[in-house]
Amino acid sequence: MPRKTKETNEITKVLTSTKTTDVAKKEAKKTTTKSITSATKKTTAKKDVVTNVKSATKKSSTAKSVAKKSSATTKKKTATKASTKKVPTKKKATTKKQKVDIVEYYDLPYRYNQTVVKVLAQTPTNLFIYWDISDKDREKYKEQFGENFFETTKPVLIIHNITMNYSFEVDINDFANSWYLHVNDAKCDYKIELGRRPIKQNPKIKTDYIYISTSNDIESPNDHILFNKEQKMVYFRNVKTGVQIEKPISANLSFIRNMGKIYNIYDIYKAIYQNENVEEIYDLSNPSSGNPSSGSLSSKLK
Amino acid sequence: MQEKKGYVSFVLHAHLPFIHHPESDDYLEESWLYEAISETYIPLLTNFQKLVDEGVNFRITMSMTPPLLSMLDNKLLQRKYIRYLKQMIELSGKEIKRTAGDERLNQLAHYYYDRYSNDLHLFKDVYKCNLIQGFKHFQDIGVLEIITCGATHGYFPILYVNEKTVKAQIAVGVQTYERYFGRKPRGIWLPECGYVPEADKYLKEFGIDYIITESHGILYADPTPLYGTFAPIVSPEGVVAFGRDIESSRQVWSSIDGYPGDFNYREFYRDIGYDADYDYIKPYIAHNGVRVHTGIKYYRITGKTEFKDYYNLQWAKDSVERQAGHFFDSRNAQIENLAQYTENPPIILCPYDAELYGHWWYEGPYWLYILFKKIYYDDCNFELITPSEYIDKYPNMQVASPCRSSWGANGYSEVWLNPTNDYVHRHLHVAGDRMCELAHLYPNTKGLKEKALNQCARELLLAQSSDWLFIITNGTMVDYAKKRIKDHIGRFTKLYYQIKENNIDEEFLKDISKKDCVFPDIDYMIYY
Repeated sequence: MPRKTKETNEITKVLTSTKTTDVAKKEAKKTTTKSITSATKKTTAKKDVVTNVKSATKKSSTAKSVAKKSSATTKKKTATKASTKKVPTKKKATTKKQKVDIVEYYDLPYRYNQTVVKVLAQTPTNLFIYWDISDKDREKYKEQFGENFFETTKPVLIIHNITMNYSFEVDINDFANSWYLHVNDAKCDYKIELGRRPIKQNPKIKTDYIYISTSNDIESPNDHILFNKEQKMVYFRNVKTGVQIEKPISANLSFIRNMGKIYNIYDIYKAIYQNENVEEIYDLSNPSSGNPSSGSLSSKLK
Repeated sequence: MQEKKGYVSFVLHAHLPFIHHPESDDYLEESWLYEAISETYIPLLTNFQKLVDEGVNFRITMSMTPPLLSMLDNKLLQRKYIRYLKQMIELSGKEIKRTAGDERLNQLAHYYYDRYSNDLHLFKDVYKCNLIQGFKHFQDIGVLEIITCGATHGYFPILYVNEKTVKAQIAVGVQTYERYFGRKPRGIWLPECGYVPEADKYLKEFGIDYIITESHGILYADPTPLYGTFAPIVSPEGVVAFGRDIESSRQVWSSIDGYPGDFNYREFYRDIGYDADYDYIKPYIAHNGVRVHTGIKYYRITGKTEFKDYYNLQWAKDSVERQAGHFFDSRNAQIENLAQYTENPPIILCPYDAELYGHWWYEGPYWLYILFKKIYYDDCNFELITPSEYIDKYPNMQVASPCRSSWGANGYSEVWLNPTNDYVHRHLHVAGDRMCELAHLYPNTKGLKEKALNQCARELLLAQSSDWLFIITNGTMVDYAKKRIKDHIGRFTKLYYQIKENNIDEEFLKDISKKDCVFPDIDYMIYY
């Protein structure tokens, strides 16, 4: 399910009509910072601060639904049109004797010009990947495979499931610099490889795959109870003495025995609260249902 | 008397992001602190004191995060809080006059006047502007256990791609705790309960005994814990993990019958900041004239209706007592049920945001007071305990690796990593890498460069607050959160280049060190 670009999030170029950049020598895409020293101390150059007004309602609005599961959600980024919804810096004359000498204005760097692939686990089965290829590396590929290297190849991500020893590939595109990706297996180690495959005739490319870079390794979180009926032993440790003992799961450890078949949280609670309708009491599909981070109290009060 | 068969452990997580703007009075976000002090922190202290005075033996655990401690300790914010209180006293004084014709309203106006006046008295005369000392006192007499948190509430499951940044969050969290409480913390509230096993070795390195996880942090652990969340587990690295109990959480938060939704409780959303005549209320709302909450609220929830009845203090107290009774009976029954299954007496861990108590659920602190009294005086099968005490009593526990998890929506990282805020992470990661690079390029340096490097570390930590990501997801105050990320990454990046080019702008450094004055003792070598 392709997702529309959220340009406002992709902070890129800055409106610089009233700005001076004091780090102009740095690579063009670096942070644009601004430092103006005001001449007098009485006239304070004050930035028009963009503040939303409902201060007390910090946590009040309902948490927006976050990324839904989708098999390969793409995040497009058109490099050119950056709709910056910033309020231009406005000078405001004030007679306050505030001693503020430095007016700052920052924007996030457009990119860092490094070759990188990073993967993060959003959920047990959704990975988030971001990447970039440095200008230097781009030139290197062009030298090796010709000026039209990037036009005659397409980018791909190869997802390696290290735990289960399989890999698969997804096509991405050169307008994207990040991607949400669905994977089938929770609690597995993953590593992502960025590479390119030829799509057009290019006499200098002799192979069907050109490796670019590899990500960090991550383990996706577990999403279910791992109860293993074959399990015969458990380990207990005395955290004061460090002494560890092995215990067979016997009648003494009756919790498990009484449970019978356990596959998920529902089963545990069904076993404990045999006479109650567990589904009604617990919304266990969302283990965090009803905590302040997961939603607002306001929605719960109304 | 019933035999004690189990334990209940309350953990309140007190946290606010570091908001400090000496450069301007226009930042409404600073009032989060003032509201939390008046509605949560002072009421908690007051109720703890009442319990102590009445000879009630109780136990409670609180995490006080480093940014919150830094703000409570900040002289400018203390002065601003006093100014806030004086303004509230002035406003409620006017309200007494304005409501003279309506007896019920007038009573409430008097109530607010007394309450804010009392806050001013407590803050200035009793606590000498030092609320940290107020909390420390209860820790010192053994009823409160204070634990720490990540330095700026950075979310470990995303930061850990550079483990040094997680280590620094832990290190500064522990150092800040020691600075204020004169001892090492035994426990840590992982920011957003975000657990990754990669953090365990650093937690051990800095002497942390235990963490709090979301329920599935325990239930999905490997191998499966025999006793669910009703007993702690220990990770192979030696970190003890306590999991949140689902049932008790539910009772407080349920959308259907959660306690804070009681019709007698104070309605959060009806505030004179919105209801009063504009010209009258203008001096007490935002500087730019936009209506905001003032804290003076006259209505009760009343029901699922637009029509709201006046708040009645006595009715609210009646509901508190009824609900405290319900919670008490439920835990009694729960423990009765569980005790037959577990080897050690079961522990029911009840973690909440501290600001729920008082700020959101106005009657919350009083509910705790009534509940704790009930547990002490009434016949029941359980006692209150802190996680540390439980570990000391029952050090034998199952070895299992907790599940990677958080307490955010759906239990993993979606709140802090989704299409609204995912653009932030590459900047946080690069800044983290650059900080490590600087530490290795200029180890143990002195003078101006050391100051600049330490400020870099502060800027990085402040950028990493999970709060900014949460706020962006949540959709309120988004501009402020985005600005904070840009400011801290911007300041960091500018300093990074200045340090590398040996061209540090002293004025600039001085200016941002004044604004971002968190963690005065920080040593950038934590990134080495």
